[in-house]
Amino acid sequence: MNEELDSQLSAMFDDELAPEQCELLARRLSRDEQLKARWGRYAVIGAAIRSERGVRLNAPLAGRVSAVLLAEPALVTTPGARPTAVRWWQPLAGAAVAAGVAVGCVLWLRAQNPLAGAPLSAHLTAATVSVPSAPVVPAAAESYVVPRTPAVRAMVPSTELANYVVAHSVYSSPVARRNLLSAFMTSESGTAAEEPPDEPAVHAQ
Amino acid sequence: MPSSERLVALTLAWAVAGAALAQETPPARAPVHKTSLDQAPAQKTSPESAPAHWLERMNQALTTRNYDGTFSHWHGGRVEMLRIIHRVQDGTVSERLASLDGSGREFIRAGASLTCYLPDKRTVLVEQRPPEESLVGFPAVNDQSVSFYDIREVTRTRLNRRDTHVITVSPKDEYRYGYRLWIDDSTAMPLKTQLCDRRGHVIEQIVFASLTLPAHIPDSAFKPEVSTAGFRWLRNESAPPAPTAATLAWNAMRLPPGFRMTARSAQTLPGSADPVDHLVFTDGLASVSVFVEPQRREHADQPAVPESAAVGSSSAFSTVIDGHKITAVGEVPPDTVRFIASQLKAEELPAVSSRRH
Repeated sequence: MNEELDSQLSAMFDDELAPEQCELLARRLSRDEQLKARWGRYAVIGAAIRSERGVRLNAPLAGRVSAVLLAEPALVTTPGARPTAVRWWQPLAGAAVAAGVAVGCVLWLRAQNPLAGAPLSAHLTAATVSVPSAPVVPAAAESYVVPRTPAVRAMVPSTELANYVVAHSVYSSPVARRNLLSAFMTSESGTAAEEPPDEPAVHAQ
Repeated sequence: MPSSERLVALTLAWAVAGAALAQETPPARAPVHKTSLDQAPAQKTSPESAPAHWLERMNQALTTRNYDGTFSHWHGGRVEMLRIIHRVQDGTVSERLASLDGSGREFIRAGASLTCYLPDKRTVLVEQRPPEESLVGFPAVNDQSVSFYDIREVTRTRLNRRDTHVITVSPKDEYRYGYRLWIDDSTAMPLKTQLCDRRGHVIEQIVFASLTLPAHIPDSAFKPEVSTAGFRWLRNESAPPAPTAATLAWNAMRLPPGFRMTARSAQTLPGSADPVDHLVFTDGLASVSVFVEPQRREHADQPAVPESAAVGSSSAFSTVIDGHKITAVGEVPPDTVRFIASQLKAEELPAVSSRRH
């Protein structure tokens, strides 16, 4: 892969590629297997389709993706089609349709971004804050088969560790503190039943 | 639509979706199309626009401004959206951090009160800090920091149609992490933050999707959305332990280069009857807390097995020394918390219940 192409791909990752170049690159992606392989590292789309916890972009997005998949009967059963064709088309087409919805969701999110366009000073006097309300997430149909979830690193903070994290956060620099608390908020959740009464102070990784 | 056209269209959608999602999923290394951020020469700047000055401005903005933002948090291949609301009103800091699509956890700070809602554990932690510690200052960027980090402004770029200064804070050894910060030119708010290891690999990223700086934020913005019916509440409302004639004073025999103790206090954590010694070590940018408490009697005959854990990119390490459980927590590599915790030693000295260095 030449350097220029790689640069364009990186720019695309960073959302810094002009829309027309983005489209050209996307067309090339459709026929360049090597280029396409680089996207394989980004399992977010697949995770969104599978509604995996923590990996998805957000719940509304995953919900919409699932909804689109479920509303795509042609991708589930194609009368007269050979079974092998169905198996080949289903994941690819399903993922792509889902990705299309993902684009919509992400763009929808960005459309809410007050930083895009109007100067920030315009928000300084805003009396109230509006945050996009979450769309209703449709319930998954029973017929939808959830693929096997890959193993993720367990990060279950015990209550005692939570105490330490909160106490430590007071002394962290603002950026580090935000990182720490964000990580704590998003760490894989445990349940009360999973926490032994005399749990150790720190769960092993 | 013919099958072939449909395939192309669908693949295009996938590709564009990947581009859009890429902001949420950073590559493991810095993009190759850019100048290597860590190696780029520092721009010549006036003292007011020096990179360290931008860090100070950013810290100032994060702690003194009102803001309300939604951001993505990426770590270890997992992305989640969070919302943060921060208000300073009449000298009192209120803050609410909530997970929008994950655990549903919320962290709410109201002055000296810190409340952590853990719906997945059906638990609420409430920590009431002494008033004098309600606004603890964060480590300041100083000459000492510069000795252990390379702080540069590597470029200015547009992010979300905002002019930003890209500041890199690169560690000079393995004991600390580095940062890449996209700091807004007009407000000094960090619009994008990457935490990087010594080799420049991105290990954690925060990107704001929306951000407003309202002049007024109502009290209602700091109400939790979690229903706490049936939750257990763990509080630390008991008074801090009284000083005794003599007690054990814990100190680190050795520390990683640049770290020094900046605070020490005795406090009672939520849900615990026993006081805990809390020691804070910092190098000016990164900080590590060490908590010392007597080992529980029921565990006294058990072998001391050191344990490690991680909360995002932050590390924790727990061990037992002289019948006391030592736990170090900090936004540093695992080896650093392990090093510091293992160096703790007790000395018999007259006690002071709470003091700052």
